[in-house]
Amino acid sequence: MSAPTLKTPSNPTTTAAPAARKRSTRQNKSMAERLIAPLFLAPTVIGMAIFTIVPILASVLLAFFRWDIISAPEFVGFSNFADIVSDPTVRVSFLNTIVFVIVAVTLQLGIAMVLAVAIQGRMPNWLRVFFRSAFFFPLILSAASVSIFMGYLFNEQFGVVNWMLSVVGVPAVPWLTTSGGAAAVVVLVYVWQNFGFSFLLFVGGLASIPKELHEASALDGATGWRQFVNVTLPLLSPTVLVASVMAIISALQVFDQPYVLTRGGPGDSTRTAVMVIFESAFQQLEFGRASAIGLVLMMLIMAITALQFRLSRRFVFYQ
Amino acid sequence: MTSTQSSGQGNSTLARAGDLSRRTLLGALGIGAVGATVGAWPRLTGADIPGRNSTALNVAILGTSADAAARQALVDEFTSLHPDIPVRIQAIQGADWRDFFSKILTMVAAGNPPDVVYVATEGAQLFAKKLAEPLDPYLTRDAADIQEYFQDVHPSLIEAFMYRGSLYQLPLDWNAANMYLNTSALQRAGLDRPADDWTNEDFTAVMRAMKSTTDGSFTPYYWTNRLFGGVVPWLYANDTSFLAEEKATGGDWFWDRFYSKDPTRSLRSGGYLWETPNAEDPRVIETFDYLRELVAEGLGVRPEGGGGNALVGLFASSRIGATPAGGYWVQGLHEAGMGADDFDVQFFPRWRTQRHQFGAAGYAIMRTAKDKDAAWEWVKFCASKPAMELAFPTPNTTPTRRSMVNQSLYASTGPEHWKVFYDTLDRFPTSGPIPAPPQQAAVETALMKNVSVAVSGSSAQVRSAMGSLQRDLELALRSNQ
Repeated sequence: MSAPTLKTPSNPTTTAAPAARKRSTRQNKSMAERLIAPLFLAPTVIGMAIFTIVPILASVLLAFFRWDIISAPEFVGFSNFADIVSDPTVRVSFLNTIVFVIVAVTLQLGIAMVLAVAIQGRMPNWLRVFFRSAFFFPLILSAASVSIFMGYLFNEQFGVVNWMLSVVGVPAVPWLTTSGGAAAVVVLVYVWQNFGFSFLLFVGGLASIPKELHEASALDGATGWRQFVNVTLPLLSPTVLVASVMAIISALQVFDQPYVLTRGGPGDSTRTAVMVIFESAFQQLEFGRASAIGLVLMMLIMAITALQFRLSRRFVFYQ
Repeated sequence: MTSTQSSGQGNSTLARAGDLSRRTLLGALGIGAVGATVGAWPRLTGADIPGRNSTALNVAILGTSADAAARQALVDEFTSLHPDIPVRIQAIQGADWRDFFSKILTMVAAGNPPDVVYVATEGAQLFAKKLAEPLDPYLTRDAADIQEYFQDVHPSLIEAFMYRGSLYQLPLDWNAANMYLNTSALQRAGLDRPADDWTNEDFTAVMRAMKSTTDGSFTPYYWTNRLFGGVVPWLYANDTSFLAEEKATGGDWFWDRFYSKDPTRSLRSGGYLWETPNAEDPRVIETFDYLRELVAEGLGVRPEGGGGNALVGLFASSRIGATPAGGYWVQGLHEAGMGADDFDVQFFPRWRTQRHQFGAAGYAIMRTAKDKDAAWEWVKFCASKPAMELAFPTPNTTPTRRSMVNQSLYASTGPEHWKVFYDTLDRFPTSGPIPAPPQQAAVETALMKNVSVAVSGSSAQVRSAMGSLQRDLELALRSNQ
């Protein structure tokens, strides 16, 4: 009896010690685990904070000031926003941007999808690789360099494009000096340079569609266009959503092509929202006004993206 | 039991090893992070930005590293005279002057402004109003040293850098918008070089004659859409401008001291002021309508923006008959293979006047300069004749010193009538600078966007475009610069 009596006080101690150690180890481990995640996240979070969050907040703040870099900022309340609402150039630039997005993104996605589907057809593998590379190649070029080069090609007097047209009897087209011509060239150059990215997304999306589905639909008599509309397109819809979101965000920020090719002209016909931001900030030294326009553009991008995701519930089909 | 124990021990050992490993990893990461921070400290703090915390005089120019290297002889000569003032040339690339000024302003915002900046007329008033130090006390102090420079430089060029009675820069090079003529195009049309006092009607006739003797790949008159050499020379010739031109009072201290005996002394002022839009002036509309007719008739191109980078090649290959440009074009045409007789230059055509447009450039001392006295020594040195001879060995611009614009400069390049370059100022002393108020960038944007519309449609479209230009200029001029 005495033994248990003797053992009783020691037993909890001897059994509790390892348990306490385990708890302690578990606590240490969980603390270490709790630390590891933030440590690994820290570089990204710090980077984002310094290079994204802080500038965005600073930009929001700056939108309520008048600042020319040189003098001290002056608080002006909502006056920058009132200015941009009443400024016809800003209104036209946003309208141009929206029209540009509609036309350019439609062309970009359309061309990319047609070409992606086309290279799925029968052809030697080396030719497929060649096409993939060729379609993607423009994307790796500097937009400014491409635009300078295209400016020469589309020069009314001395450009190669008009020379080729003259060979077949077409009179010289004032590509860059008329509103319609300039807008067409800007869209053309932008789409030529950017469709390669959507193309690659579609190639990846098409490759992920099980062949069995196509074979089954073929057995049921669905071929060609019908198969594309009823089988390929629904299964490709998640890729279409991603490609369209990225294409629209990118197109809303178009700058290089119109800036280099036309400087926004003739008139304001190719002036875009980002061009007005650049001109306000770095040419007119109105950084507050530029920030206000930037904020409006950011909200527009967010609204359009949110709308896309909302609408995607209706047309995107996930396997 | 044994196996369980040993298994438990094994797990514990593994766990401890795992804990140790993670600690080691975290420690290594921590050391790595600290090391990286220490290593990147100059970058993180911006201490490694070229020019920052440097005692050298930081001189910013528009150009490439090759342009900076080309100035090394100048720097070496200056250093031999002033061994206590180290100089660092910082070449900043830009598509045009507007782009260059934007980058300078960004450097100012970043807390790393240069001490001295080479500024063209386009930015003279922006710098004078916001950034530059007036040279007045230095000119007064060193009047005896600098007198020789002013004796050699036309006062019109100096007046372009006066702002509200103070002088901010000593111009070193300049260019007027003269008219370059392609000799072979003239010969094909059976024409001689036009007379000095040719009119805009004579000009139209010359362009028609050139067009009638060539095919569709030839353009008689090529012009660009910008502040220099675009529509403004025509406006000046028609005795008007899209901005009302006024003169500031003041500056007599300077003119009386350095140009008291100049025959044009009475014309001089405290500098130009462009504060009121004038786009709807009937003469402005008349000028635009004239250019629109040139375009409609196929005598001139619809102007594109930019500096006309391809222009030298097109002119050299005889695909252009005439274009407005200054002495800066000579070397380019020479290098493009044009002989001295393949092109010539003439004054800009007369309309109501034969007033010319010109642009010039020189060094401005920044208000934030570390050592303004050292900066002034650089400015003064660069304005000396030996320094200018080092800086401008070829005719890729026109030196502001009259004595340097001579036969030897153009001996191997032409043109035959090179005297036109400097004679422009002597023959037409009211010639004026590029209309560039402190809001130059906004003004140029407004002008460019409406010029292209005005000259590309009907006569009614000219009036509409001028109305738009007037509104845009009102907005531009009320901005905060």
